[in-house]
Amino acid sequence: MNKLIAIWMLFGLALPAWAGDEVKLEDIKLDTSMAAVERGADTLMNVCHGCHSLKYVRYRDLLTAGIDKKKVDTWRGDQALDTAMTGLLPDDTAMQMYGKIPPDLSLMTKAREGGTNYVYSYLIGYYITAEGAASNHVFPATRMPDMLGISGATDAAQRSEIQHKAQDVVSFLAWASDPHEEERRRLGFYVIAYLFVLTALLYVVKKQIWSRLKK
Amino acid sequence: MADSDVLDDDGRRDFLVKVTSVVGGAGAAAACIPFIASMNPSSDVLSKATTEVDLSGIPEGGMHTVAWQGKPVFVLHRTREQIDAMKNSNGGFQPEPDQQRVKQPEWLVVVGVCTHMGCVPNKEGPGWTCHCHGSQYDDSGRVVRGPAPKNLEVPPYRFIAADKLVIGEA
Amino acid sequence: MSNKIIQWIDHRFPLTSFVKHELTAYPTPRNLSYWWNFGFLAGFVLVLQVVTGIFLAMHYKADIAMSFDSIQHIMRDVNYGWLLRFMHSTGASAFFLVIYIHMSRTLYYGSYRAPRELMWWTGQGLLLLLMATAFMGYLLPWGQMSYWGATVITNLFRATPFIGDQVVVWLRGDYTVGDATLTRFFALHYLFPFLIIGGVMVHLVALHTVKSSNPSGIDLADKDNIPFHPYFTSKDFYGLGIFLIVYCTFVFFFPNSLIEPANNIPANPMQTPNHIVPEWYFLPFYAILRSVPNLVGGVVAMGLSVMVFSFMPYLDRSQIPGGAHFRPWYRVMFYLFVVDMLVLGYIGYIPPTDSSIIVGQAATLVYFTLFILLPYISRREEQWLIRRGLPPEVQALIVSETREISKYPKRRRRGDTT
Repeated sequence: MNKLIAIWMLFGLALPAWAGDEVKLEDIKLDTSMAAVERGADTLMNVCHGCHSLKYVRYRDLLTAGIDKKKVDTWRGDQALDTAMTGLLPDDTAMQMYGKIPPDLSLMTKAREGGTNYVYSYLIGYYITAEGAASNHVFPATRMPDMLGISGATDAAQRSEIQHKAQDVVSFLAWASDPHEEERRRLGFYVIAYLFVLTALLYVVKKQIWSRLKK
Repeated sequence: MADSDVLDDDGRRDFLVKVTSVVGGAGAAAACIPFIASMNPSSDVLSKATTEVDLSGIPEGGMHTVAWQGKPVFVLHRTREQIDAMKNSNGGFQPEPDQQRVKQPEWLVVVGVCTHMGCVPNKEGPGWTCHCHGSQYDDSGRVVRGPAPKNLEVPPYRFIAADKLVIGEA
Repeated sequence: MSNKIIQWIDHRFPLTSFVKHELTAYPTPRNLSYWWNFGFLAGFVLVLQVVTGIFLAMHYKADIAMSFDSIQHIMRDVNYGWLLRFMHSTGASAFFLVIYIHMSRTLYYGSYRAPRELMWWTGQGLLLLLMATAFMGYLLPWGQMSYWGATVITNLFRATPFIGDQVVVWLRGDYTVGDATLTRFFALHYLFPFLIIGGVMVHLVALHTVKSSNPSGIDLADKDNIPFHPYFTSKDFYGLGIFLIVYCTFVFFFPNSLIEPANNIPANPMQTPNHIVPEWYFLPFYAILRSVPNLVGGVVAMGLSVMVFSFMPYLDRSQIPGGAHFRPWYRVMFYLFVVDMLVLGYIGYIPPTDSSIIVGQAATLVYFTLFILLPYISRREEQWLIRRGLPPEVQALIVSETREISKYPKRRRRGDTT
């Protein structure tokens, strides 16, 4: 038994060591409404899509999801509806400018520990250091400039506007990384409800059959 | 194992077992739907349902073969003589006036799949010949010699400009 | 009509008698608890994985240039592809959960003891096949975690004496994990489930020869057995209902919780993610690997930690029936083992730090010490229990059952008529 206690004590020591190097992420309540997704897409197309691709998302998917056709038409220009939302920045230009190719955003909220909270905290994580350089709390080595301008925003109204923008972008990215999520949850609700009924029936059947056995 | 453990039928339980079997069976059947549906064309295949054709590159008397939903579609730029010849005949096994098979008499658009066994006929002389089993079609895509039972299918299409048409939507 | 067909078949093939002997009238101890449901559940999950896997294989492409894209194609474009994929990825975890519970039950109740050693060993073989299948399947999405997991695990074979490096290259078909590796893993990932099905058949034939164990640990006399159908069919299906509720909750509401974020980034041989972890079901063994500060030693320790279960029929020297049920010392060891596994799992999950390495080494030591001490402890415990007297209910059970058995010296066997 002493051994057990010793292990649990050591266990306690290990915990803070692991938690220590984690950056505290903002906790956001994700707005999954199509309006938020559409606003986010708007910001993303104007601010992010210049450099970042979303190669697993096609313009038609945006239509299917219920985004206004006029908007989709402006974004896609003369590209066909079935074109993937590949980036506009050629790879070698990107290498010259940033030294790396900006990551594809199709799966971004699923591809980072912390998910949507990470992406949001990153987007609003920019600040100006004492030396006057821009840095990021969540990802100090980032090469991406502060596109939403949070580091330069001083008054509360401006900051809150940028935070809302970042939230909408995250809503869009969350949709893009898992476009069937809403369908999945809806179907899941019915499946689980059905399983409860079925299991209850199976329980009663089992109970009745076993009740015949004498102790 | 005592004999009394072997069950004889009891009306109430029998009913319950039946209800449960029906509910469970319905669930099992419903669970098959996603599996069957997954074998249907996926959304990216479905969205390739239309094909745009640029007509400006097809000379009079010439033909282009374009892919529509993975199938060959013959787009034939017919000459005056071909048009006249087709206007005057009604085809063979499945008589059909030429006007009903074209939207503009100069342009014949037919699915290039033989109605017999699904081979692709070759353009030979006037009309097409299918080398699999020797069926022949005229310049309106109508079958004139068997064993093919039907005329070549006319896909839904429409002109979106003077020299552009889209196949797949009427 | 159907009677006639069955008669026709029975004339040529023992259908009715087979179903009667092995399923409907198959004698099963009446005192089995719900812990005995998990064998059936494992069979169900096996079928689930095979079926979802076959349908996924219709859309998947085993080519390093296409596999990541083909997963996204399945997730986004294929009708209900997301459902098939999440069922399969969640199913892998469900399979291990069910198997680990099934094994824990066997350990707790001492069901591995004579005459069920072969069941235990075929089960052990099935566990190894399952692990290999899961490991190879994990490479197929060709994400960062897939790639680096496969790199690390194939590298374990460097511990092979003399030809280690060649073995690793041979396994991969390339100097690094590459296209050849992916293609062969896909081929074997498709094959192994069928080997598992074969193994399950052997496991079941062995089961039907020695019959189910039960919580008392005493082979019950005939009067205490009941026909499998409808008693255990109804019980197994009720258990299945509960299982499906848990499983579907994960499939529909938390499927991504079982997929590491890094696996949503395509494999990049030039950059290792900061924190690579195996799937949760490998974590305790991975922790043991990491606790030994030597390549060969670590691999041997990890291999032993999985294989050591095979020796249980010999390590456990006690004849006291019922496993941990009636054996207080063994019960303590069992729970200590479970806690130790959890500690190892946690240590395997976190990135190694100075203190975590020490905890991991302590837990590894506890792990093996438990097995090593078992022969001694079990023998001492048996003596102690006999001196002290078994609990009255066990004593009564042994007396009544042995009298019952001696009354009918020939026990019912396969082929006897009722």
